[in-house]
Amino acid sequence: MNAVDGSDHYERAIEGPVPSLLVIVLDTNPHAWALLSSSLSLSKAVANLLVFINAHLAVNNANQVAVVASHSHRAVWLYPTPPSMSEDFDMNKAAASSLSDANKYRPFALIENSLVTSLRSLISTTTETDIATTSTTQMAGALTLALSYINKATIVFNDMDTSSKPAPTGLENTEPQIGLQSRILVVSVSGDLAHQYIPIMNTTFAAQRLRIPIDILKLAGDTVFLQQASDATKGIYMQLQNARGLLQYLMMAFLPDQTSRKHLVTPTQDVVDFRAACFCHRKVVDVGFVCSICLSIFCSPPEGALCLTCGTHLTMGDYGSKPAVMPRKKKKKRKLNGEGETHSGRGTPTPGD
Amino acid sequence: MMSVSTLASFDYLERLPGTTFRRLYQQPSTSLAIFRRMLPHLAKTFVMALLYMSKPLPLTDLDLWVQPSSKRQKDQALSLLSRLNIVTITAPSREDPQVVSLTKNFKSALQLALTGGGDHQSFGVPSSDVIEDVDLRFLDEYARDQWEGILHYVVNSVGDGMRQDGQGPTLAVKDLLEAGKLVTKGRHSGGGITQAGFSFLLQEVNAQVWTLLLLWIENAEKMSMDHVEVLSFLFMLGSLELGRAYNTTTLTESQQRMLGHLVDFGLVYIPPSTPTQFFPTRLATTLTSDASALRSVSAGFDAALTAATGSKGFIIIETNYRLYAYTSSPLQIAVLSLFTKLSSRYPNMVSGRITRESIRQAISHGITSDQIISYLTTHAHPQLFKTAAAQAGGPVLPPTVVDQIRLWQIENERMKATPGFLFKEFENQKEYEGCAKYADEIGVLVWKSDAKRMFFVTRHEQLRDHIKSRKAK
Repeated sequence: MNAVDGSDHYERAIEGPVPSLLVIVLDTNPHAWALLSSSLSLSKAVANLLVFINAHLAVNNANQVAVVASHSHRAVWLYPTPPSMSEDFDMNKAAASSLSDANKYRPFALIENSLVTSLRSLISTTTETDIATTSTTQMAGALTLALSYINKATIVFNDMDTSSKPAPTGLENTEPQIGLQSRILVVSVSGDLAHQYIPIMNTTFAAQRLRIPIDILKLAGDTVFLQQASDATKGIYMQLQNARGLLQYLMMAFLPDQTSRKHLVTPTQDVVDFRAACFCHRKVVDVGFVCSICLSIFCSPPEGALCLTCGTHLTMGDYGSKPAVMPRKKKKKRKLNGEGETHSGRGTPTPGD
Repeated sequence: MMSVSTLASFDYLERLPGTTFRRLYQQPSTSLAIFRRMLPHLAKTFVMALLYMSKPLPLTDLDLWVQPSSKRQKDQALSLLSRLNIVTITAPSREDPQVVSLTKNFKSALQLALTGGGDHQSFGVPSSDVIEDVDLRFLDEYARDQWEGILHYVVNSVGDGMRQDGQGPTLAVKDLLEAGKLVTKGRHSGGGITQAGFSFLLQEVNAQVWTLLLLWIENAEKMSMDHVEVLSFLFMLGSLELGRAYNTTTLTESQQRMLGHLVDFGLVYIPPSTPTQFFPTRLATTLTSDASALRSVSAGFDAALTAATGSKGFIIIETNYRLYAYTSSPLQIAVLSLFTKLSSRYPNMVSGRITRESIRQAISHGITSDQIISYLTTHAHPQLFKTAAAQAGGPVLPPTVVDQIRLWQIENERMKATPGFLFKEFENQKEYEGCAKYADEIGVLVWKSDAKRMFFVTRHEQLRDHIKSRKAK
């Protein structure tokens, strides 16, 4: 009797691997790629990325992919391309060239074509003044595009799956098991992103809330905030020592989706740089001033002691001086209680926990 | 975890000898299809990690990569991969550590499939001429008509046929169904459905297609067709694009002959005006998709086959064993009547009860409770799914009904037979424990008795190697 009654019998309602959506944010910052060109050119990286995309699609029929370029002045969709006036022309051309090839799986060929075409047009529309005026990349914009795309795809997927399923509310109670599993992979080459601190952190927390891991593959440079993004969303962070082995890194570390990651030891960073950027000058600071009302961070006391964000009048006992240092009194206590040391010794608060 | 491992094609493939695999893996489309369809998720991860690795990976490194708690899944994945001849693991020896690598053919074929290139033409040669009047809708309807024809034939062979139209499947298909013992002729006046036929009816459409195709492959060997070629062709069909015309002229002669049979099944459509072209239907292009993919791609089989009734799930079952089926399809009603006592019929709905008598009758026909339950689950009305989702992933069917169906079956069946191998007479407790533990880890252990020092497994090849290697040490 008990053998029959085992609850494992009737709970296998919906099983099987869940399809996953991978959104790749490709940093196409011309400056950074120029620096990197000796070890890895953009075209080679894109070729490797295409194999990786194909591998992702090969894992499951229902797997989806989307690619955003984070360029110097804007974030652009590379695949799927947004409908535009020139689309008909492009489609015909793409169809014609991939039509004749019987040696390639058609979905792979279509994506490859569309991605290369849009990347080419992106590069050709980049003017010299564009490059000259900035040396950074629109990472925050690209991440936002990725998140909104994931949101849309999830809604569409759930509608299709069973029409009766409750629509995702975007809150934490969305069932993590059923439905589309999404993740973001950022292939980053640019260094400093401090001026985009706030939007990047906003997208990070949005992703954390939606349980979308942000994986970071760093080919060059070092950015504090992307480290924090992957840490907060439980994604993978990898800084490549040797850019030539890109494909193997992609296949081994970044291909497994959330379902397999449960079984694997995923690479993470040992030390996360939790520093924040100040709201006034976008400088990365160790120690700063924090508005007591809205928690905005400043590297130096704002002018007139008015918070730049919420306008609260802040009073500071010791205006203009360095932040207060712990008084020496504690020394006695520390001897009694050794644990107190670790708490006060930590320089910066950790966002997220 | 295992993606529809109950699939018939899966067992069939596992039985193939190694040489067959080596030949199968020459085609990139076949490698891709087997990779996608036959492997559990973790195995796919391993394959992809090994794909572009220049040197074989030491097993100890693989162990480090996998969480210790998932050792069982890892071992099962590896054992399956080596059974399918996808990876080779070197024999353990004292000097060299054990290493794992992809077999050569599979590796190069899958690489080709991902990167494109080569000259294998295994993804089909599209035809440039465009025929206007063949659209998706037409193809779906065509596939549905053909397939339902076959199913009707199987159902109607049950005693009092509910409807007997002149248009049934072709004679070749009828012969095939008979050869596969899905129906029998002559024993009773109108022929009869067999146990295999019942389980065939209750499967999902994808599995049904595969069952029939495998039957056909087994018979194809008699028809002097090479089954490797047949399989590769089927896997190629799975990679084609729906609604696109392909050339028949580039196909080999035996593949062209196969096309004729596939038309009978409704897997491909050949326009009468241009016989050098063929269109794969949805039945063909989803051959290599798995169940969850079908559910999510709204254009799955179910969509193709139940477009007439308008929705996918149609069965509501209540805790008091009452069953309401919102369907007017004679096929579905006939299937339902196999295990339900139907009481009334309305234009768009039938209602009935699941009773002890009706279930016992079904079981005496050879249907198992698992088949009934999985049929009910697959065809459950969205409303049932909604209730299940509201309870945070609770059961779709009422647990009382599911349990009772099982109990009714157990009333008659007190024994369950598992073919396999008994291992006994171990030299000492340690050896027994080591072997039993290993058998459990690779997922073949069925039963063991510590007191008698014996255990029973479903497969023995890997265990044999293991024991040998233990002896060697």
